Amino acid sequence: MKVIGVHMDRCTGCKTCELYCGAERGSEGKTLLAAVQETPFPQPRIRVEGGPEGAFPLQCRHCLQAPCLDACLTGALRREEKSGMVIIQEDRCIGCWTCTAFCPYGVIYPSPERKIAVKCDRCLYMEKPVCVDVCPTRALEVVELEGIEELLREKRQKTTKAMAEMGNEGIRLLDLGR
Amino acid sequence: MTCIIVGGGIAGFQAAMTCRAVWPDRAVTLIDAEKETGYYRTLLPQFMVGALPEEKLFFKKGENDPLLTVRSGVRVRSLDRKSRSLTLDSGETLCYDRLILAHGGESYLPGILAGPPCRGIFPVRDLTTARKTQAWLADHRRVVVFGGSLVGVKTAAHLRQAGFEVSLVVRRGHILLRALSPESAEVVEAHLRRLGIEICVNAPLEEIRKINGAIDALKAGGRRLPCNTILVAAGTIPDTSFLEGTGLLTDGELVVSQALQTIDPRIFAAGDVAVISSRGEKARPNTWPQAVSQGKLAAENLYRSTPMPHGDLTRINAMELHGLAMVILGPPVSGAEVISHARPEASVRRELFLVDGRAVGGALIGDITAAGTLHALINAERPLTARDAELLRPRTENVIRFPEQTGRRHALILSPKRSSL
Repeated sequence: MKVIGVHMDRCTGCKTCELYCGAERGSEGKTLLAAVQETPFPQPRIRVEGGPEGAFPLQCRHCLQAPCLDACLTGALRREEKSGMVIIQEDRCIGCWTCTAFCPYGVIYPSPERKIAVKCDRCLYMEKPVCVDVCPTRALEVVELEGIEELLREKRQKTTKAMAEMGNEGIRLLDLGR
Repeated sequence: MTCIIVGGGIAGFQAAMTCRAVWPDRAVTLIDAEKETGYYRTLLPQFMVGALPEEKLFFKKGENDPLLTVRSGVRVRSLDRKSRSLTLDSGETLCYDRLILAHGGESYLPGILAGPPCRGIFPVRDLTTARKTQAWLADHRRVVVFGGSLVGVKTAAHLRQAGFEVSLVVRRGHILLRALSPESAEVVEAHLRRLGIEICVNAPLEEIRKINGAIDALKAGGRRLPCNTILVAAGTIPDTSFLEGTGLLTDGELVVSQALQTIDPRIFAAGDVAVISSRGEKARPNTWPQAVSQGKLAAENLYRSTPMPHGDLTRINAMELHGLAMVILGPPVSGAEVISHARPEASVRRELFLVDGRAVGGALIGDITAAGTLHALINAERPLTARDAELLRPRTENVIRFPEQTGRRHALILSPKRSSL
């Protein structure tokens, strides 16, 4: 399974991904100039949040235990078996917004004009997601989940090394958060 | 020995599907009193008014599964825990190894309406009745919707949108009594009135007038409302009749643990029929998403040595009432502190209920921005910060705020040797 990874150190918060997602996936005209003149106003499925202290582009995570799938009242949301993506079938969506209330990331957006919810489908039928394609700093990247295992291993090793450097006494608990 | 699931509503259906997926070598029998299984009850209002074709009501059917048997149109007459068997109304006996009770409830019909049969009165509950209602509505355009529940409000809005003359009659002081605060309900009521729906509150049913065996008028709260159809959406009553004497009921209720297990470890319950005992309180989160997740969890827990508890007992509900979006995050709690953001001119009211500084519920009317994030916040059960409270005052989009970069936090518990330093 493929996921979109974010290089936190590279995102500048420029919102290029938002603009292009809105134009390419949300508009009829498929160009920025056409998109800004359309009604209803095209909606991007990725949003960049945060400020100068650090920005983060966020789109549907296609959770393995997706709360939106359980919440959908009409069966419009379903998991595409081949790719594992959570996708929305627009003809079954009635715009009741239950899924938007269940998404813990706030990345399913109501489109009141079209009476449907819109969300990222990771540009399933395109060669590459638009946001990844247009990011000027290459902050977004499509990663195979196998690659993630490698990333996690690196993280674990880094943590172990850091803890080892702190001396050998006592018991350590990481990230208790309280 | 098979696993038997009683009830073909969404909780039972979901339980059957999950059971087949999680325990692939166990055979499943699904018993449903209705003739049809596997449809979206939530779409019945749209279907009744003709705004949705019937084929869109049904779930996508999977391939034929030899280990899944569906028995529709049959009721369970009795349950015998000793012999682990169910007797159906046909006299047939079925033995179970594990049992999930997900048979939901029956529509509540107030005394007068439950009386001798009268044409033109329909509960909003099941597909068979919805089909009859649809046919009846073809030439009966004056409708009273009785009951200010979510179903009632939704039904009224869809009927009005389809051009019917609609009155919404509510027994108590405002609509959505158990879901919204009076202030929020007022915003929704104002919107419904703008749609052209007549709303009568504080209107308990007094009498009905029939002509030629069909409904002609209704008197409620001292007002006489001429009508030729009454749709009843006054809630449901859990059907526990065949469980009496089995020892499973506590004060007439089917009380289950947070893992949805009854006092009999082989029997689980899910959906509207289950009353979940959690931290000394009884929860009845009778919503569609709850029925789905409870059905799933009950099936997953069937053969687990340690059943897992249900993590989310919130009563989230959402709907779109032809121009007014709303999300109910949890019912009002008496004595709770309320924080709110209101823009009456735009029909917007967003509120959270706090107990001991923690968000326990709330509602977003007219602007549902950050609904998912607020729901997650309620589930987190942590004290609300000023930053969290800002979520109520939305910008134009869903907001995820990031905490300051505090770096990695460590908890270092020192050994006695070190702490003496």
